This record gives sequence, C-alpha cells and structure tokens, in this order.
Amino acid sequence: MFAQRFTSIVSRRYVSTVVDLYKGLINGDRGCLAKCITLVESTHKEKQQNAKELLSQVLQELKQRQQKQSNKPISFRIGLSGSPGAGKSTFINVFGRFLIQQGHKVAVLTVDPSSSTSGGSILGDKTRMLDLSRESDAYIRTSPSAGTLGGVTRTTNDAIVLCEAAGYNVILVETVGVGQSEFAVVDMVDMFCVLLPPGSGDELQGMKKGIMELVDLVIVTKADGELMPEVRRLQTEWLSALRLMRRRSPNWKPKVISVSARTNTGIDKSWEQMFEFENAMIKSGEFMTKRSNQLQKWMWNNVKDRILEQFLADDDIQKAIQSYEQRVIRGLITPFVAADAILALFAKVKTDKTT
Amino acid sequence: MYRQLFFARSKLLNININGRSQILCLSSLQSEWSKLATKQLKKIPLDSLNVITHEGIKLKPLYTSEDVKGKEEIPGAYPYTRGPYPTMYAQRPWTIRQYAGFSTVEESNRFYRANLAAGQQGLSVAFDLATHRGYDSDNERVSGDVGMAGVAIDTVEDMKQLFDSIPLANISVSMTMNGAVLPVLAMYVVVAEEQGAKQDQLTGTIQNDILKEFMVRNTYIYPPEPSMRIIADIFRYTSKHMPHFNSISISGYHMQEAGATAALELAYTIADGLEYCRTGIKAGLNIDDFAPRLSFFWGIGMDFYMEIAKLRAARRLWANLMKEYFSPKKAQSMMLRCHCQTSGWSLTAQDPYNNIIRTTLEALSAVFGGTQSLHTNSFDEALALPSVQSARIARNTQIILQEETGIPKVIDPWAGSYMMESLTDEIYSKARELINEVEQMGGMAKAIIAGVPKLKIEECAAKRQAMIDDGKETIVGVNKYKLEKEEVIQVLQIDNQQVRQQQIEKIKKVKQQRNQSKVDQCLENLREIARDTSASGNLFQASIEASRARCTLGEISQALEDVFSRHLADSRFVSGAYRKAFNQGKNNDELQQVIDRVEKFAKIDGRRPRILVAKIGQDGHDRGAKVIASAFSDLGFDVDIGPLFATPSEVALQAIDADVHIVGISTLGAGHKTLVPELIKKLNELGRRDIVVTVGGVIPPQDHQQLYDQGVKLIFGPGTRIPEAAMQILDHIEKTFTSTNKSK
Repeated sequence: MFAQRFTSIVSRRYVSTVVDLYKGLINGDRGCLAKCITLVESTHKEKQQNAKELLSQVLQELKQRQQKQSNKPISFRIGLSGSPGAGKSTFINVFGRFLIQQGHKVAVLTVDPSSSTSGGSILGDKTRMLDLSRESDAYIRTSPSAGTLGGVTRTTNDAIVLCEAAGYNVILVETVGVGQSEFAVVDMVDMFCVLLPPGSGDELQGMKKGIMELVDLVIVTKADGELMPEVRRLQTEWLSALRLMRRRSPNWKPKVISVSARTNTGIDKSWEQMFEFENAMIKSGEFMTKRSNQLQKWMWNNVKDRILEQFLADDDIQKAIQSYEQRVIRGLITPFVAADAILALFAKVKTDKTT
Repeated sequence: MYRQLFFARSKLLNININGRSQILCLSSLQSEWSKLATKQLKKIPLDSLNVITHEGIKLKPLYTSEDVKGKEEIPGAYPYTRGPYPTMYAQRPWTIRQYAGFSTVEESNRFYRANLAAGQQGLSVAFDLATHRGYDSDNERVSGDVGMAGVAIDTVEDMKQLFDSIPLANISVSMTMNGAVLPVLAMYVVVAEEQGAKQDQLTGTIQNDILKEFMVRNTYIYPPEPSMRIIADIFRYTSKHMPHFNSISISGYHMQEAGATAALELAYTIADGLEYCRTGIKAGLNIDDFAPRLSFFWGIGMDFYMEIAKLRAARRLWANLMKEYFSPKKAQSMMLRCHCQTSGWSLTAQDPYNNIIRTTLEALSAVFGGTQSLHTNSFDEALALPSVQSARIARNTQIILQEETGIPKVIDPWAGSYMMESLTDEIYSKARELINEVEQMGGMAKAIIAGVPKLKIEECAAKRQAMIDDGKETIVGVNKYKLEKEEVIQVLQIDNQQVRQQQIEKIKKVKQQRNQSKVDQCLENLREIARDTSASGNLFQASIEASRARCTLGEISQALEDVFSRHLADSRFVSGAYRKAFNQGKNNDELQQVIDRVEKFAKIDGRRPRILVAKIGQDGHDRGAKVIASAFSDLGFDVDIGPLFATPSEVALQAIDADVHIVGISTLGAGHKTLVPELIKKLNELGRRDIVVTVGGVIPPQDHQQLYDQGVKLIFGPGTRIPEAAMQILDHIEKTFTSTNKSK
C-alpha cells in the first residue's frame, strides 16, 4: 500500500511538462528529444494536445533560428528508401559517421513494421547501425509503423522538426519498401534517394516509373567484389532510363552513383552529390519553395488523418460501417450508395455533437 | 516463390503416397495388433497413440520387423552406424572429459589436477568470454566478463600456469575456442614446447568451429571469409606438424542449446563438416591429410530414443556423404568420432536436484549412441558455475555408468531394435533432406550469410517455448509438480573484480619484461600475412612466433582485426511463431489476458509498452533474448533489440534514445553482478530512474537480493513462463507510467 503510493509520488517527478521538455529539447538533451518524439507519437488525447503545443513552439523557434542566419535552411532532410536487404542500414551506418567527421550532427529516423495481428513490433535497426549508434553526435530513433491512420507519415514529419530543434542538422529518414511510403516521404524531405542492391533490376521494373518521377539520386549499393559487373549494368540501365524522364526540377538532373559500405568507397561521392543538390536548390530558391509547399501538405495530411480518426472513433458509424460492408459484399447495394449513406450519417453525428 | 509452392506441394503428395503404401502393405502381425489394440482402446482411435516429434517424425507405439529396411551392419566397418571402432567400450570405455575452467589460471590448475587424481581422463578447458572474443583482461569492454564463465588467458605466462605440472605430452587437452583460436592454440603449443614436449606428441582437440558461431553462439571476432582462412591455416599447419591433434570439433551442441531439433542439429553440423572439408581442399590439402582429424560434438537432450538414433545416423550420414563428395582413400576419413555433452538447456533452476536425474538419462543416451568422450553437466549449472560438490556428482555419474552397470560390455546394444533401426533411418533421411537444401544454396558458408539456418533454429526455439508455456510439454518442477518453496543451494561465487585486477597486474609484468621491438615486429608480420590475399604465409605459424615473443592475446587479435575488421552479425528476428505455437494457435485465455492488458496500457499511456531486450557483456548466447523479443512482440509489445556485446552505458543510452518503458537484460555469462548495477547507475545519471530494469537468465538466488537492492525490479530465472513474465512486467509499468496519468 505504502509502496504503491510511494511509486506514484516518485514517478511524478519524471512527468515532464511541455515547458520542461521544450527547454531540454532546444538545449539538445537527448533524453528530452526522445521523450518529445514519444509525445508526438502518442495516441492519447491529452498528450496529443500537449504535442501540438510543443510543436507550435518548436516551429516558432526554428523559424527564428532560420531568420538569424539570413533565411538559409538550418537543416538538410534526406529521404533514403529501398527494398529490404538493399543495404540501407549498412549505408547509413557508414555514411552517418562520415557526416559526423565532417562536423555535422546526424539524426536517423527509421520505421519498422508492426505486426497486423498482434500490433507489436520488433525494432532491430540499431543493431544494424552499431558504429553510428555509438557516436555522441548521432541520434537514431526507430518507430513502430503502428499500422493505422498512416501514423508514420504524420509523426515522422513531427519527429524531423524535433530533431532539428535539438540541434541535428542532417536528418536521414529511412523508409522500407518501395511503394506507398515513398510518396509520403517525398513530401517531408528536401532530397529523395533510392538505394538499389545489385540483382534487384528485374523485380523493380514495375515500380521503376513511379520512383523515377520522384528520385533525386540513385545509389547502387554493394559495389565491390564479384558484384561489380552487375553494379555497372544496373548503373547504366538507370542512367539511360532517367535520361528519358521528364525532370522533376529544372535545377537538378537525377544522378546514379555506386557505393560500397564494406570497402568504404563512394561514400564521399554520395555526400558530394547531395551537397551539390542542396546548393543548386538553395541557389535557385527551389529549396525554400519546396519546404513551404510541404507545410501545406503537412496541413492536409493532418486534416485527412484527423477526419478519418474522428470518423472511426464514433460507435454509431462503426456499427453502420459493419452492416454496410456486409451488404456491399453480398451485392445488396452498390459501394457508392453505401458510402453516401455512411457519410450522411457522419454529417448528422457531427451536427448532433456541435449542437 | 513458385518453386517453393511446388516444393511444398510435392512434399504433400509424397506424404500421401507413403501413407497409402503403408496401409497397403501392412503385415499380418501389424494388422493383428491393430485389431487387438483398437479393441483395448475402445472408442479412442488408434492413430492418437502416434506422436509427432519436434523433428516432424512420427513415433509409433509399436514397431515390427516391417519397419526395418536396412542391411545388418557391424561396428568398425563402413558406414559405421554401430560405432567407429570394432571393439568400442567392450575394450575401453569412453573418455570422461569434464569441461571446466573459472577465475584465475591458478584456481583452474588446482581444479584440473584434483580432477585428474579423482579419475578424470582428459582435460577440457573453458575460457572466459573476454578471451573468446580476443580481448585482454584490461580492456574496458570486458570489465564484467573476466574470469566469470571460464578462465582468463592473456599471455603465454597464463597458459603456462594453467598447465603447471600437467605434462602436455601425455594428457589430451580439449579447448573450447573459436574466435581467438589463433593466439590460444599458439600459446598452448608454446607452453608445450617450453615444457619440453614435441609438437607431434600433442593430443587433444580445439573446437575451432566458426560456422556455428555465426549461426548460434556468436563468439566470433572476424567476418566469415577471413575466419575460414584462419581455419585453413590451422589445418595446413596441424596436418603437417601436429598429426595427433584434432584440428576442429564440428559442433552441433550449441545449435541444440539454441533451440535446434535433433534433425536440424544433425543436418547443419554435418553440412558444416562438408564446408570445412572444402576449405581444407581449397587450401591445397588432400582430403586424407586432414579428414581423419575432424571430430564432432553433439548435444544430448531429454528425447531419449531420438538422441541415440541421432548419433547412429550421424556416423552413417558422414560416411556416406564423405564417400560421395570427396572419395577419400583412408577409412578414417569417413569415420565420425564424437564428443557429447548433456544438455545445459534441459537443466532447470527450479527444484534443481531433478537435474541429476536428467543428466544421468542424457548420459545414458550418449553412451548408447556410442560417443567417444562425454561431459556430464552439474546439477546447479542453471543457477551458477558448478561447485566442487556438484562437479563430483557429475563426474561420478559417468564412473557409475562405466563401472557399476555393465552397460559398456555390449557394443551398440540397441541395434536390431525395430524402433531404433527405423528411427535411425528416419532421422537420417530428414537430415539428408535439410543438408540438400543447404548444399543447393551453395554450402553452409553461403547459407549462413543468407541467414537461413539461424532463423530456422530460432523459429524452433520460439515454438518450443510456447509448447512449454502452454503445458503441452512437461518440465517437472517448472510447469508441473512445482515446489511450494524453493530450497536455497550453495553455489560457487567468483569475485570478478579481484580476478581482473590480478590479470591486469600480470599483463603489466609481462609487458615490462619482454622485448618490445620483437613484439612490434611479430605483430606487423601478422598484419602483413593477413593482408596478403594469396594466403602464402600461415597465420597460425605467425601467431606461434608472436606468442613466443610474449605478445598478448589481445594484441594478436587486434593486429588481425586491423586488417580483417571486427564482425557484427546482421540480426534478424522471427515473428508470429510463439503465438502460433501456443496452444496450437487456438484462442487461449491466458494469452488473451496479456494481449488485452497490453491494449489497455496502450490506451492509457498513448503507446504500446516498449521494451528494450539487451545483452550486456561478451556473452553471445542469445536464444533467451531472441525468444523473449519474438514472444513479446507477439504479445503486442514494441520490442527494441540491443546489439550483442554492448557495454552498460551503451545499453543505457539506447534505452533513453528509444524512450522505452522497460529494459530487459538477458545474461548467461555470469556478469550480472557488475554490469547490471552499472547500467542502473547510468540510467540514473541520465535522469531516467523511472525506466524499469528486469534481468533474466542464469542468476544465482544468492544474488537476487543484492540486485533488487540496486534497483532491479524483476528477476526471471530459466524456465519462467513468458505470459507470467509479461504480466509481472505490465504490473510494474502500469504502476510507474500510468498512475501519474490517473492522478491528473
């Protein structure tokens, strides 16, 4: 009994108010950064409210910092994407340390899938970026994808600005798989890179077009030893394919390079390309325009997420969905009629609640 | 994908065909018995008496001559199913070879000499984890590991004291060493030399089996490729200069300990063996130069019949495959000789005296299987390192089998048993299928890089845990017939800090007295040979020279690391296996309760409970950690995985970066007394006293209070049921993390 009361008193000491968290965060305290990311990832109503408060302050602060250095961006956000086994973690492990040697502070945000049956997840990314994780100027955070409502999209964006507030100036966002999540990540980063392992040419045929429209830099991994001929083949193939594409930006032509994390070759070249990209974008003004547009997308993502959230949170609507689903499956009504009916119900619930 | 489907389909067809043909050719005796048995069983179907083993083999209640297909064999002749030698134990019983070593070389030496006087016939040295991983005792990374799970060796001087008054020309020594195999074997050779023994007089075994390290045990140092080159260099040297020394002991034991079924253990070990043969041949050796010096090492678990059949099938399998693959000229090249050890995993921390009985039965399996030497575990090994008393009981178990029972008088007494011959055939074909799979991937080295064998073994481990947790498999004292109150048993305690201090002093002394320029030259020579990709020099020879010059184990290892780099395996995880196997995936109240509570926690706290499962120190046995990670994620937790071989501050930092609720430390290496308190201290320093720290693994009950006092919230011994552990953890984090919300 006493022990129980005692614990709650003890733990209250660790409850961090938004003010405390914010202070710690802008002072670069890692523990605070970690807690802030937890806060923005939270599904708890009250905490979400706190998260919004925190984020507003952070955005304000970042804006001021940016103004102080005559409106130059204070960070460079890079998206790194590739199929499982493409060598993303291995690349980041070496690349991140390279950046730190150049005097940067590097944050890595990665996502591991949550199981659709249990909801749990195994977050093993750190074991794959061991050397980097031992660096004091690196912060690595793996988040569970948590499935629903595209949570990753929303919170990844939040996590990026939190890392920036904590003083990290290169943010690497790793996404798994080539598909849906890529399109989301493109709207959050300044530069989008795809990692391709040798031998992946054929499987990727189908998705190639989708990627090519978005990619700024293609990095062919594992370029050493026996795999070299295949690496070269892949490189030329992509180069010629990219040449035929309509360019996404008038200021940058997508490039293809090859790296080997094992023999540590091409790592500096990767950064050279990224650096060149950043300069070209800043000089042309496209960098900041893109970021402004991204804020707009960020708003829309929030709108979509929250509408869906409200929509699914209502018990009446849940029931209606179930019954309509059954009727649609059995062919009793068309999907459009069912959708109309459910949306009508949603509108009614909304007005009932507001009145 | 299609190929897999096709394969699975054709497998299904096979089973159908077999089933039908069995029904068609039932003998008159079989059908007569079926009738009788059906009558006896009344309404229970006869099929319900069949048992499907972990290996997927159907064990029937009755076997008849119909089940036996093979030709009759004799021991000492190809394919050696009945034993490698014609006379076996009838002439001379197996060698009693107890694996031991702890704290300092002086202590271990005293222990060895006493054992030899008490009837032990060969030595088997256990090294501490720092030595295994190629670190000197003064290295910061190993502060908690020195002298704990074995003896610490830093220089030739240590090795000299270890074998003081033990003539290496006469006594066979087995050394469990894989990662730092070069300096350890080199120091052994130098000590023998300084004792006056010739290299060709040396008998014994070095484990030197790196493939299984990458698969399960994780005490490797370098990446797979240079590691295989080291093995080749040792083969080349020993085949020429140390003809009576077993240059490798191809080990299945650790696979079984990690969760492999008998069939997996058998298959992957033999596949490892084939890979080593190819390594030797690639190094320019003739198969007959080294194959007779290959030996094997099996784990013996509680599945009595299966373990006997495994040893018999292993000899047949090896003989057949060696003949097919390499057509050796010498008969010895096809002859599988082995050492066995009773299973450490089968020992329980609960009601530990039961372990004496378990070990006895396992020893009996090994003897019936025809092992050449045997280690029997001490009953207290699930709690701590063996004490003098428990070590005596373990040794006497074997002496009684040899001298009181009359069992050794008859060679391969199970031969001709319908059941045993049939089971031998069955596990033979199961293993052969698995070996073919590995060979199709291009051999074991390639399969390991692809990560397939490891995942397969881990899946077995998760399933097995689920079967125990849901009570389908009985473990006396753990999930059935539990004691109300556990008795406290006196166990061996080691003051690790004192051992480390002594070792550090000794290193200092050696470094002062040696010729530094000679040392530098030797180390540079090692680097040069390592860099030379044509492999014309011999790393083992260079290591012997370096040891002579008093280079330390850490220096030799580091010189090679400079060139080869230190390897860290890519860890992958199975998911879903635990939940699927628990109660065969049927809905189960207990599991559901945990899952519901996790959901409830997630609602209140705004996220799922997040746990960091970490290993601290140099102990690489990660079965426990993997099973926990896999099972907890199946229960709805978000599970962070810590890298192997982490220091306490690295774990603390990871816990903080990921903002976890719980850190679960898994330890089997006896380093908990120093490493866990250090972790808690670090967490406090970083302002996260609220993170709940739990510890699981081999922890002597004597240490529990101390750990609780230092801030550990929960301690889970071997045999803890996972749903129970999860519930206790949830209790704690609910208190710590959600009570504050309610109070708001």
